[in-house]
Amino acid sequence: MWAFIVRKLLYNVPVYLGIIAILMLALRVNDPTYTFLGKNATKDQQDRLRTSMGLDDPFAVQYGRLLGKVFTLDFSEDSWAQPGRSVRAIMISAIPKSLSITIPTLIIATFVSIWIALVAAYFRGRPPDKTLMILAVLGMSISYLVYILFGQFFGAFLPDQPGGIGTPFAITGYEPWLLGEHADPWNWVTYCMLPVLIGVIVTIGYDTRFYRAVMVEETGKDYIVTAMAKGATKPKIMFVHMLKNAMIPIITRVMATLPFLITGSILVEVYFKIPGMGNELISAIKGNDFPVVQAFVAVFAAFFIVSVILTDVLYALVDPRVRLS
Amino acid sequence: MFARLRNSRGYRKFTRNRGAMVALGVIGAYTAIFILVWFFGVLTRADARERVLPRNTPGWLEKQSVEDRFNALTWYVESHLGSAIPSDLATRPDAQDALRRAALGERRIIDAPPERVLELWADLRAKHKETDDLFLDLEDAENEILDIRLIIADTTSSGGPEDEIASLREELAELEPEAAQLRAEFESSLAGAEAALTELMPMPKGWAGIVYGFRTFLGSNAIGQSISVHAFYSIKIAFQIGLVVATACVVIGTALGAAAGFFGGWIDALVMWLVSTLSSVPYLVLLAVLSFMFTGSQLFDNPVDRPELQLVKLYVAMGLTFWVGTARVIRGEVMKIRSLEYVQAATAIGFSRPYIVVRHIIPNTFHLMFINFSLLFIAAIKNEVILSFLGLGVSGQPSWGAMINDAKDDLTNYFFWTVGSASVLMFGLVLAFNIVSDALQDAFDPKHVA
Amino acid sequence: MNVRIPSATRRVLTCIVVAAMACSAWLPSARAQDERKIVRIPMVTAGPGTLDPIMGSTQYDNRACSAVYDTLYQYKYLARPLQLTPSLAAEMPEVGEGGKVWRIKLKPGVFFIDDPCFSGGKGRELVAEDVVYSWKRIADPQYRFKSYWLIDGIIEGFDAFRDDQVKRVDAGQKFDYSAEVSGLRAVGKHELEIRLNEPNQQFLWKLAMFQLSVVPREAVETYGDAFNRRPIGTGPFVLRRPEDWQTGTRMTLHRNPNYREEYYPDEFEPGDEKLGLTEAAGKRVPLVDTIEFDFYVEAQPMWLEFQAGNLEFTTVPQHAFEEAFSRRTKELRRTYTAKGIREVKVPLLDFIFRAFNMEDPLLGGYTPEKKALRQAFNLAMDWHEMNEALYFGLCVEYDGPIPPGLDGHPKGEDRRVEHSTRGPNFDLARQKLREAGYTIGADGKVQNFPPIEFYTSTGGESQRIVELLQRNLEEVGIRLNPRYLDFAPLMQAVDNRKAPMFSFAWGSDYPDGENNLALFYGPNESPGANHSNYKSPEYDRLYEQIRTMPPGPERTAIYEQMRDLLIEDAPFCGSLARTRVYLIQPWLKNFKPTEDFYTYIKYVDVDLSDARRAK
Repeated sequence: MWAFIVRKLLYNVPVYLGIIAILMLALRVNDPTYTFLGKNATKDQQDRLRTSMGLDDPFAVQYGRLLGKVFTLDFSEDSWAQPGRSVRAIMISAIPKSLSITIPTLIIATFVSIWIALVAAYFRGRPPDKTLMILAVLGMSISYLVYILFGQFFGAFLPDQPGGIGTPFAITGYEPWLLGEHADPWNWVTYCMLPVLIGVIVTIGYDTRFYRAVMVEETGKDYIVTAMAKGATKPKIMFVHMLKNAMIPIITRVMATLPFLITGSILVEVYFKIPGMGNELISAIKGNDFPVVQAFVAVFAAFFIVSVILTDVLYALVDPRVRLS
Repeated sequence: MFARLRNSRGYRKFTRNRGAMVALGVIGAYTAIFILVWFFGVLTRADARERVLPRNTPGWLEKQSVEDRFNALTWYVESHLGSAIPSDLATRPDAQDALRRAALGERRIIDAPPERVLELWADLRAKHKETDDLFLDLEDAENEILDIRLIIADTTSSGGPEDEIASLREELAELEPEAAQLRAEFESSLAGAEAALTELMPMPKGWAGIVYGFRTFLGSNAIGQSISVHAFYSIKIAFQIGLVVATACVVIGTALGAAAGFFGGWIDALVMWLVSTLSSVPYLVLLAVLSFMFTGSQLFDNPVDRPELQLVKLYVAMGLTFWVGTARVIRGEVMKIRSLEYVQAATAIGFSRPYIVVRHIIPNTFHLMFINFSLLFIAAIKNEVILSFLGLGVSGQPSWGAMINDAKDDLTNYFFWTVGSASVLMFGLVLAFNIVSDALQDAFDPKHVA
Repeated sequence: MNVRIPSATRRVLTCIVVAAMACSAWLPSARAQDERKIVRIPMVTAGPGTLDPIMGSTQYDNRACSAVYDTLYQYKYLARPLQLTPSLAAEMPEVGEGGKVWRIKLKPGVFFIDDPCFSGGKGRELVAEDVVYSWKRIADPQYRFKSYWLIDGIIEGFDAFRDDQVKRVDAGQKFDYSAEVSGLRAVGKHELEIRLNEPNQQFLWKLAMFQLSVVPREAVETYGDAFNRRPIGTGPFVLRRPEDWQTGTRMTLHRNPNYREEYYPDEFEPGDEKLGLTEAAGKRVPLVDTIEFDFYVEAQPMWLEFQAGNLEFTTVPQHAFEEAFSRRTKELRRTYTAKGIREVKVPLLDFIFRAFNMEDPLLGGYTPEKKALRQAFNLAMDWHEMNEALYFGLCVEYDGPIPPGLDGHPKGEDRRVEHSTRGPNFDLARQKLREAGYTIGADGKVQNFPPIEFYTSTGGESQRIVELLQRNLEEVGIRLNPRYLDFAPLMQAVDNRKAPMFSFAWGSDYPDGENNLALFYGPNESPGANHSNYKSPEYDRLYEQIRTMPPGPERTAIYEQMRDLLIEDAPFCGSLARTRVYLIQPWLKNFKPTEDFYTYIKYVDVDLSDARRAK
């Protein structure tokens, strides 16, 4: 097992090195200090900014430094667009906000779509299955953007109009749960609920189809035949035997979405004004905030790689055959 | 090559799927529009820019409120015709030219001698003035009623004196029929003025009428441009991006995937390294970097002279990241095919390896290429919309994302036509592709898990 | 091994999710009530760029800085037209030697807020030396001379001081704040002496501008670059912790407990009484405990929050006019007034125009042909249509650069001058094009005229503006190729004289037409404020003359002469002044909206007992 983990790690190291190299190069195509300061900057200022980020050093040195920062998680340098705030501070304040949208979305979407998938698989080929699958395809075909616009309109705006039924959803914004001036768990829920619901509705179509396909594939397996032969009832087979075995692809799929928990859903965050990672990244890009962009991208890629490795390892734990291939 | 595909079981299964056939028909219709716009120039950006109606006019079937109708009429009289009809019309040598320029799309000022036009124009203005006076009276009367109702509600809730409420109610009972009377007068006067407008600017007939009908049936946006022209023109952008990105990704993905799967060794390692690396780069960041590089470039950011090249950054960003999925799938399939008997037989006969790949292996991945093509097409369209919405994509030419971005605030005015048209057209195309790719998968690759 | 979630756990998880959703459904959407007075103020931006006054330039910087810092003078809150009154200063300046020497006494006993950067952590008293220090910072190259235009050429010896210091810094030495400036001296602890190069009428207005706020040296030196997120001032409000400012979300400011003694003004205009603006006269300010600036990148959420009662006031975004106002009468609809909401239309000192680069080979130049060509552009633009289509007809269209309400603004009908070249008049535009040497085709369009690159900012609204503009100019055959750039690159393109034609807006810094006329003063050419690079010896001579003149009919006559000169030479097309419409909740007291100054925050109050506020 350890050999497998080491092998996976070794395989992914060059991948990560490659990502960092590509991104660092791409970010340096145009001089970041010039882009940020504009042409009226004094030479001195540009130099100060450049030395503060070590942009004068040879590329290899900068490369090594960034890798070091990622491994030690030491992003103490200041943001350019928001001097006085370190990149680390920005990340620390943004990550919980992204997580408070993405984690509930992931949990609810996974639960709901597994249940729908089970129901569909149970009625496989019959009208309930067909209806659910048509709905899933319809749902998948609507743009995320449209869900967000109409979700906000019908979920928050319309009910809040005079004579409307009122709504528990906040229209936009975010309040923290535990710390800070406005901390209040119930408030937090009202701010997060609508983005979460929209996120769930968007992903549910894709998830349901996937899980149904998994279930349908499982129904052809021998153990199901055995269970049937033993006289287990159909619901029992579906909801107990099958679900257990279907956990492997389910976990794989959930793991695959983990890196996106950190980036957050950019569109939702921008539209609902939630200051999470996605929102910070977009405003950093627009503000030419080089340290933030570079650090965010490096961290995101690192999360991605780590979750890929974790998925592989988990997979190997579940299915020993994988280790040998 | 295609003959083999046509005789396959999968093909027969696919053609028997009625839903997929309908979806193919829908895609065909979109393609026809795309070709008409792109190749024959049926709709142009000038058509999209032209003013055809007052601002935010609702489309087909939605009845405008009386106040909106009045505002639209006011716009025609005070803003549009007021500046389009020169005061010295009767004495101008180029009177007809001046009048022609006052057209809104196909709707022109009546083809009559200047004296007649001026007569109709004076009549319209007089009728509008009368309607305007009635409107002001009506608004006063109705506001007064609302005020009294408010006072009644206030007094009742604070337990004010009964007799005061009663006298207020009496006043209300007196005012209400008066207001109703005024409203009726206003409405008939408005109808008269609208008729006068139609007389001055008659609705076009025949072919022009059909064209004008098309341009107005979805209403107009905030600056009076035709929503339908925008929405249908956007099909061109969607197809351009969809076709280029999907084709490029399928070609690159198949080539690299097949090479990796067939040759293995260092080629496989290199391709898989590329695949892993590119799929770990958030493509939004890639796009931001690219759009930053292209901004202000004469060649790639010039929506007036070279609108096509503005899309290059989108092609590159999506092209760089989307091919990896195809490459993975094709590589897996090729590895499977490689060990099949007929490939081994071909090797034994002594065919060269590139020949085997091209002749025996790639044709057997056609179904996967089709499926991937339609999935990538959908992905490209959906992403274009989101990127244009975020301001990183298309600008200066109609696109669904730009339309939605432009009109999202109109939702709170209960004006859905712009957002709705873009959403519905996009939905239709994406849905059709989803159904087709599902059917393809069912027919050719039934064991595949989503 | 088989990974699975035990079904019991699964059930519990499901219950929690369902319960959480059910509970939250009963929650009111309003925030928790408390008895502190909070005013929530919206800003349509991701946030101010900086809280360091000399680095600020936008109205958002102004709003935030005005809350935490004080200037020597401030505007009288209720008086219109605008007038100044002492803030940090004890009284109005004593002007001597023919207007060249200004003596300003400071109020004693004004303290900076407590902060660790001061010895002992207690805020020390503000002295005249602080003013000198704060102003000298403007000459520090470290701050890119962002506010230098304010005192450029005005204070005796200051330009020389800057040049010396720049040389020092270039030679690798530190900026010397102890170097003397002959025209800027502290006389004792509480008096300031300023010597001007020549009498200057506008200098007093500048003393009320937030860029000239007073900052303590200790804070600047302790916090360095971070100072622009750690304001240490004397203002009515305090940013307690840097975390209270979250870009893109909000900035929370708390009442400064040590704020100097200042009272609500008792001077007012007729009409203020009816609105209850005078009730607080004589009360000590600030009146509320907390100010929250809520940032909205998009106007629509702001509008929705206001309607939900979560903002004390809002400006009306364009898309919402139709909903809130009658298009015909431009009055607030009864559905709003019934809720006690009141509206105030605030005309801005605003100058929106489309400028030409006078050095452009095609569009620039001073020959009669070139003048006619530029006039043709102006004649083909329909400002009225833009006003109606995008601003609900609430803007003011006018000729020349001087906004409504100021001396030099055109007095003629429809705010036109005698030889007005403001469109739309397509016939005249064609005639001017002919005068410029072009031929007009049978379709009424100019022949052989290349597309013009038009530089403008990004954003949905500017696309609509360009579409309208393209349609107007197309009428005479002029085609525009729009370049949408973010603000910084747009400024760069303009400063590099790369943009032949560009869109621009100028909000007056102080209520004097001179501020706008300076936009075309030759020596101010790019990268200065004269982005058109307009150069006319006669104009420059007149401008130098008015700088020292006191207000009066004589000066107004010269303003008008300069204005007509500009309209004749047409380095720009225009103009438009926006009107901002404010909607105010009934529980917000003492609010008289203005966009000419932002010190009003300390005067506003919230009526906690208003039933409509409790939700």
